[in-house]
Amino acid sequence: MTCTQLTEKLDDYVDGLMDRAESATLGAHIENCNDCHQVLARAQGLRASLKAYGKSSLPRPDATFFDRALARAAHTGIRRQRNRWVMTGAGGTIAAGLVLWMLGGMFLKTPEIVAPAMPSIVMTLEEPRTLNLVFSSATTLANATMTVVLPQGVEVVGFAGQREITWITSLAEGKNILPLTLIATSPEGGELMATLRHEGDDRTFRVQVSIIS
Amino acid sequence: MSSLEQNQRASFDTLLRPHLDRLYRLSFRLAGSKPEAEDLFQDVLVKAFARLDDLLDVREPGPWLCRVMYNHFIDNRRRIRRARLVCVEESQLPGQSLDSLPGDLDPVRDAERLDDIMRLGQALATLSDEHRLVILLHDIEDYKLAEIHQITGDPVGTIKSRLHRARARLREALGTDGTNSRP
Repeated sequence: MTCTQLTEKLDDYVDGLMDRAESATLGAHIENCNDCHQVLARAQGLRASLKAYGKSSLPRPDATFFDRALARAAHTGIRRQRNRWVMTGAGGTIAAGLVLWMLGGMFLKTPEIVAPAMPSIVMTLEEPRTLNLVFSSATTLANATMTVVLPQGVEVVGFAGQREITWITSLAEGKNILPLTLIATSPEGGELMATLRHEGDDRTFRVQVSIIS
Repeated sequence: MSSLEQNQRASFDTLLRPHLDRLYRLSFRLAGSKPEAEDLFQDVLVKAFARLDDLLDVREPGPWLCRVMYNHFIDNRRRIRRARLVCVEESQLPGQSLDSLPGDLDPVRDAERLDDIMRLGQALATLSDEHRLVILLHDIEDYKLAEIHQITGDPVGTIKSRLHRARARLREALGTDGTNSRP
């Protein structure tokens, strides 16, 4: 091995990335070469200095920082979850009513009353609008399934081409809001169906969607 | 808070806690100052909570969390306004003291070591972000090449040659003979 070869392989040697035979060859060269011995000593010295630098330059967080950070993350996450999905139930029974309204618009149906007649909304072609489904109930529910079936020509923004979307969700006590941002891609329209299932119980809400150009 | 939310909170706590120390260190190495590191750390914890279901399925949460942090840092680099990894402010932070050095009760030698370390910090500050980060992760934080690959997504060979070049630059910055001795 030459001194030049050693210089090229020095990092691997110091990092312990060489196989035993190669490492032995390099070690033997260093034993007999004063210059390379010094080069190795400097490389190892630099590594030790970096370690010391690492220890000295890292501030310690406050004693309660991790606890506070975990609590804040959970608090923020739960708040966002509640804002995203909202639903309720009572003793395993999905109860209460469905309310629909459009963002910036008016209530389409009286709150807290199961709609005797199908509510309806009017959308303009290619104009996104948010439809909020509100579920009210008395207690929390875990592992409920929500399925939204869309009419022809209507999509949920972000789910292009999907006529049916299903996901697992949980319901909080009180009012829960499910915002669906819809866009009409063609003038067909029809019935939008949202079904909430939990432990064999289910409720389906229907909304008539009309589309104007 | 519902029982579901309480369970989520408990799972999150249990899953994250063993990795917080290393995650914090990475946060500081990336962000470069304590306030920015704490912001970055907090952002990543919020992201991790939002992806709790994914996290529960991950076999090795440590590297997964580090990668989330690295990506978040890269995506928000401008917003985070990463300071130099070595700066005057840092020298005033807790931990930057002789107590944290391998002292031998020799004040003169300790002072010399502190001086060496400050010079090293200044030399590191002259490196590019890419070179500085690979040295900080590998030589200071003891991440393996494969772990750095897991975090950054760069091929191991690329990381290895980057590390080699970074060390060469650092030696140059410290002096022509590559030593860290005082003039």
